Amino acid sequence: MSPSNIKTIFRKYKISRILWQIFMALVSLIMVTPFLWMFLSALKTQKEIKAFPPKLFPEIAQWSNFLETWASAPFDRYIFNSFFTASSIVILHIITTAMFAYAITQLNFKLRKPLFALIMATYMLPVAVTYVPSYIILARLGWLDSYQGIIFSNSVSVFAIFLARQSFLQVPEEMVDAARVDGAGHWHILWKIFFPLTKPIFITFGLINFVLMYNNYLWPLMIIRSREMYLITIGLRQFFIEQGAYGVNWPLIMAASTIVVTPLLLLFFIAQKWFIRGVGGTGIKG
Amino acid sequence: MNKKEVNIKTTFVEKLRNDNMVAFIFCLPALIPLIVFWIGPMIFAFYLSLTDWDFMSASYNIVGLRNYFSLLQSPAFYRTLRNTLYFTVGSVLPAVIGGLLLAIMLNRKIPGRNVHRTLIFSPWITPMVAMAIVWSWMFNPSRGLVNYLFTLINLPALPWASSSTWAMPVVIIVSVWRTLGWAMVFYLVALEDIPEDIYDAAEIDGVNFWSKLRYITIPLVSPTTLFLSVVLTVQALRAFDQIDIITQGGPAGATRTLLYEYYQTAFQQFNAGKAASIGIIILLIASVFAIIQFWLSKKYVHYQ
Repeated sequence: MSPSNIKTIFRKYKISRILWQIFMALVSLIMVTPFLWMFLSALKTQKEIKAFPPKLFPEIAQWSNFLETWASAPFDRYIFNSFFTASSIVILHIITTAMFAYAITQLNFKLRKPLFALIMATYMLPVAVTYVPSYIILARLGWLDSYQGIIFSNSVSVFAIFLARQSFLQVPEEMVDAARVDGAGHWHILWKIFFPLTKPIFITFGLINFVLMYNNYLWPLMIIRSREMYLITIGLRQFFIEQGAYGVNWPLIMAASTIVVTPLLLLFFIAQKWFIRGVGGTGIKG
Repeated sequence: MNKKEVNIKTTFVEKLRNDNMVAFIFCLPALIPLIVFWIGPMIFAFYLSLTDWDFMSASYNIVGLRNYFSLLQSPAFYRTLRNTLYFTVGSVLPAVIGGLLLAIMLNRKIPGRNVHRTLIFSPWITPMVAMAIVWSWMFNPSRGLVNYLFTLINLPALPWASSSTWAMPVVIIVSVWRTLGWAMVFYLVALEDIPEDIYDAAEIDGVNFWSKLRYITIPLVSPTTLFLSVVLTVQALRAFDQIDIITQGGPAGATRTLLYEYYQTAFQQFNAGKAASIGIIILLIASVFAIIQFWLSKKYVHYQ
């Protein structure tokens, strides 16, 4: 049978579509299996979770695992720390990005091009090389183990600057000129013309950077010591280690992971368009 | 030169000076943190790598290149380098190839397309720390889901993270799981930009699926492939969370990458000088990768 023959048969019976659906369903199932397994495991008893072969569903869903987890570590504090620092960082990103992108797209100054090249170069370089020196700088400032340390050391986003620059370049010149003729200053033009017109890009990088900061682990691990300052990722790891000490209590650990992951999954499913557009629609990011 | 021209000239100079001042003020909020936490530390790291400082002592010695020599003379360091290469290639290649294949599969107007796209992308937004914990449970050698599924299809149960052979594949699988959908989204955008009439013309000429892939799709998405391989390589050099949760660099150093060694040297052995020199080596490797990849792009990448 020649390939074109097979093709016509496929077309006729829509076999290819059915195969496609089966294959894609399988791929998607594999991708979400960790989420499902995490959630199902969080509802099992210690005995059930250790059963082998494993059972898919618990006999009785142990919702109390969540209460027990919540009570055994200050997760409310961790979540507050993560939300507070991530939101502050995103607000700073919006301000620093808008001002910088305005300067390199609208103002004529000598260092415009080298400055932009420098910023883009830092994006390609591995951040690791800066960890030890930045730690020492934070120590000198007395900002180790503090909110301002986490917030200010993350207050610029090269990814955001890149996105904002691209969309600022597309703002029609006539609008800017018209505002100038009316005597508007740069500050006014930036926040009353550019910002509203390019708001989608700010929402996009705001959401993505919020998620990146909520998920951030290594850098906070280096600069944070005291339990009240733990971010959610560090708190979770601490919980993982402590529960492991007395024969691993997997249901509670899975419940803790569920507590950490669920806010982000909800945020993603509500605002997925922004995330996918932001990642794919632009060409550069991390 | 008449008066009018002079006037125009001075206002122009004034405007330029004004613009310079405004530009300076507008750049400052971004530049200060960038200099304090990026560019300054980069230079500072070079200096630190020439010392034997331990984070605490008031004094330190300049030891020249000794940190670098001691690294280059230790067999353990070459093991770390090999691990880093293994992890980088192992996590970048499947993400790029898998991302392209999934994007080709999803680049058709069939119901369910958006649901699949969303589900496949979703791992990227979840915290690696939490999901690495879940994966370490799924890869549990005696009670994990993965070994159970393996025994179902008559494969041997594997020791996974507790064996120095299988620990790295576990870390790689977790990393690819998280970046696959991310890479796919880039390819979806690239595929949408390919004009449909190219494929229509090929169809008329009776070109089969594989030839279309080989001669149309792959060349036309090559800028995306290049971009993804550069960014994913930089990300692979940055991978830490999954290694810290699942293996802590073990067993017996089998998953200790450069970044993990950097972390241990700095924050467990408190050897700031040596850690800084590892950081510089990571920087050099990343630069070499970037140069090679851009050189390849000039030779092979097809820009439309």
